[in-house]
Amino acid sequence: MSALYASRTAKMYAREGIGPFKRIGRECLDPNEAVREGLISMLPRLRRLARALAGQVADADDLVQIVLERALARAAQWRPDAALDKWVYAIARNAWRDELRARGRSQNVFAPEEAGASASDGSHVRLAQQMDVAAAMETLPPDHREVIALVLIEGMSYSEAAELLDVPVGTVTSRLARARAALQSHLGKDT
Amino acid sequence: MNLIDDDTLQAYVDGELDAADAARIDRALAHDDVLARRVQQARRLRSQLQAAFNPVLDEPVPDRLAALLRSEPAPLPAPVALPASRPGSGFGHARRGSRRRWFVPSAAVAASVAVLAVAIWWHAGNDLVRVHDGQQFAAGSLFDALEQGLASAPDPRSAVAIGLTFRAADGHICRTFVRRAEPAMAGLACRGESGWALPVISTAVEPANGQLRQAASALPPDVEAAVDARLRGEVFDAHQERAARDAGWR
Repeated sequence: MSALYASRTAKMYAREGIGPFKRIGRECLDPNEAVREGLISMLPRLRRLARALAGQVADADDLVQIVLERALARAAQWRPDAALDKWVYAIARNAWRDELRARGRSQNVFAPEEAGASASDGSHVRLAQQMDVAAAMETLPPDHREVIALVLIEGMSYSEAAELLDVPVGTVTSRLARARAALQSHLGKDT
Repeated sequence: MNLIDDDTLQAYVDGELDAADAARIDRALAHDDVLARRVQQARRLRSQLQAAFNPVLDEPVPDRLAALLRSEPAPLPAPVALPASRPGSGFGHARRGSRRRWFVPSAAVAASVAVLAVAIWWHAGNDLVRVHDGQQFAAGSLFDALEQGLASAPDPRSAVAIGLTFRAADGHICRTFVRRAEPAMAGLACRGESGWALPVISTAVEPANGQLRQAASALPPDVEAAVDARLRGEVFDAHQERAARDAGWR
């Protein structure tokens, strides 16, 4: 696969949300290579998901690293007829749950980072808004943060989120409604 | 129905209602300010979340992560700063996957024959496609969506969702689109002197029906093949897409 092709398709997939699964299935037979290629094109989205779940940049990238390592180590378990990103997202979600258990849920509230706080002009307003949203996300219980991240940020349908979280669709909708209400009240008059 | 409960409203905002229910809410919104405000609030929250987290997509990937994904003999290009995906991009691959399995080269031939029939049907049946000099062009609301719509800022009221925008090998700007309302269709449109030519249109689109609708942008294999055949550089990101629109798709 040429570098141009890789970069072009990665961009297209990142934009379109279409995974390179079938294409890769046809082109390279090595499942490790297929998983690796898929992870490359998913990496930006995976980092966004991790940021929404874990909050701080360093924690989020630690989570991404764990996910990449697990996915590569288990590449042989991935069946090419299954969507790679669902498989990877399930690994991500489980890794995050493991992380929470290891840390204990209570201490999982951080002050927003200072990243880029020195930015001048209008961009600091935007940055402040982004930090407000991130901080509001961190006040949500994990169940609620997950559905917000999967549906409102990643753009999954309710049924896809339900499948990934292994709960009924009704559970997704009720968590989503409560999480929305909580976020809206946190963000106060801005919403 | 006058009473719209929170779950229904939420499903409306999240694009989970079928076309009939969504149309019912559309109508109710026109004369119910309270409802309109609730919808606006929910949309606002979604866009706040997107604005807060989408910039991650454009951040350079840290070396320690990129290094994990380099293959041993020849390092792959590090995936630095991919363009932001549009809101709503994401899953639904299982279904796309099952369609892709049919795709063999001969399907493209079959598709081009089917297109002819489809064109005739369309021409007779509605005003989304016009035929000029033996070529099909977008008309009506399809033309408007191609001319004005942005994948990066989808209009939830429009039945036509714009997918990729790119400059084709011949220099024209092309865009993919999916229309899930009846008549459901997907295709590729390329901007020329006489409007948006439609080299490929396909009816292999699952219309919006049932309780849950599939997330936005699956393309039928014949349309994907047409994209692959024309795409030489890279697809436009949100900024390029808007700039191209502002420049009249030249």
